[in-house]
Amino acid sequence: MTSFLHDFIATFPSFLEAAWMTLKLTGVSLFLAMIIGLVFAMMKVSRFKLLHTLYGGYVSLIRGTPLIVQIMWLYFGITQFVVLTAFWAGTLALAIHSGAYIAEIFRGSIQSVDRGQMEAAESLGMVRSLAMRRIILPQAFKRAIPPLGNQFIIGLKDSSLVAFIGITEIFSLSMNHAAVTFKQLEFYSIAGLYYLFMVMVFTFLLNRLEKRLDTAK
Amino acid sequence: MIKVRNLHKYFGDLHVLKGIDLDVDASEVVVLIGASGSGKSTLLRCLNFLEMKNEGTISLLGEEIDPKKTPLHKVRERVGMVFQHFNLFPHMTVLENIIEAPVHVRRKPKAEAIKQARHLLEKVGLADKGDYYPEMLSGGQKQRVAIARALAMEPAVMLFDEPTSALDPELVGEVLEVMKSLAAEGMTMVIVTHEMGFAREVADRVIFLDNGTIAEQGEPETFFTCPTHPKAQQFLSRVL
Repeated sequence: MTSFLHDFIATFPSFLEAAWMTLKLTGVSLFLAMIIGLVFAMMKVSRFKLLHTLYGGYVSLIRGTPLIVQIMWLYFGITQFVVLTAFWAGTLALAIHSGAYIAEIFRGSIQSVDRGQMEAAESLGMVRSLAMRRIILPQAFKRAIPPLGNQFIIGLKDSSLVAFIGITEIFSLSMNHAAVTFKQLEFYSIAGLYYLFMVMVFTFLLNRLEKRLDTAK
Repeated sequence: MIKVRNLHKYFGDLHVLKGIDLDVDASEVVVLIGASGSGKSTLLRCLNFLEMKNEGTISLLGEEIDPKKTPLHKVRERVGMVFQHFNLFPHMTVLENIIEAPVHVRRKPKAEAIKQARHLLEKVGLADKGDYYPEMLSGGQKQRVAIARALAMEPAVMLFDEPTSALDPELVGEVLEVMKSLAAEGMTMVIVTHEMGFAREVADRVIFLDNGTIAEQGEPETFFTCPTHPKAQQFLSRVL
């Protein structure tokens, strides 16, 4: 136990830096994923059939292939044509991946808003885009928060997969330490602790947000 | 005010409205009655194009509306609608519900819209409820807010789609009272309702729909005391 503590403390500065990388990957990719998800969800609830097809294609392609394959494909495939740093390749892959799941969350929450809301808005002379922005989306966003929180947690943990394209984040750092010191169990436990801590902080913030929104309507 | 000619509406293979002709004059109160499935709600919803007609013409305020040419949101600004299930916006307070369309559709200054909303709330007897959220109100109160919300757009016509059908019996009266006072002020109203007493008292004309056609229409006294169409006789014997 003392040796575990010693390992933890000795590697703390480097893990802190790696944790910062994990946070950056997660934050930027989820921000982009929210935009992607919203755009695709709007396509799905629009009146244009072609956009529905596009949505269907995107969601089935992403949900039908493993994230690690998507990361490799983006990193080794796209970088033959465009210059992308490992960070941006990884971030984009994570964003495109989470985007599909977030699109599904938004689509579901938009469609769960009672049809009467759109009818009432239209009967007051609102055009559909205004009604969507003022009436439907605020209600949909609120309903989307619990599943979004869940997806954010998944996104945070999935960021560990970019270790395989050479980004130094929590998981790849623990792999390095494990390989050098042969203390596999210790260092993967340490990696797990960092993730667990971050998820717990996030969950705490999420719960507070949900409570606040509940009292404020 | 409203002129409908040969209106047909299909839901898939189902022929719901079979050639309706309807004229509503300014300040007239027309009540649509009929068994469920007779097409009365569909007819009402066609009037503000929440349902699209398949055939026929609809004119509002002397102008024929072609959904392909006329922007429907412009039409709907002049046609208020009250729904069976209120459809208040749950994420907004009562006051915000009422000023939403005047501010964001009609671009009215907010202060002016609020002043008007308070006036309307007073009119429907809810002056003290402006800061409440819809879920804190009773059904009757919600429906009165919905009426105020529709009135805030200063419509030329008000459509009511079974406005009291979702209410507890003891709350029906307060909504009907508001509708009566609107009628007395000269508002043009088309009302789908099952409240026969109300129809008899307030309507200028009662229209009985049967199976997608107008089977009988006339002044309420005549209609309720001696209906001529056998289906109307049958219907009235069941509901009165």
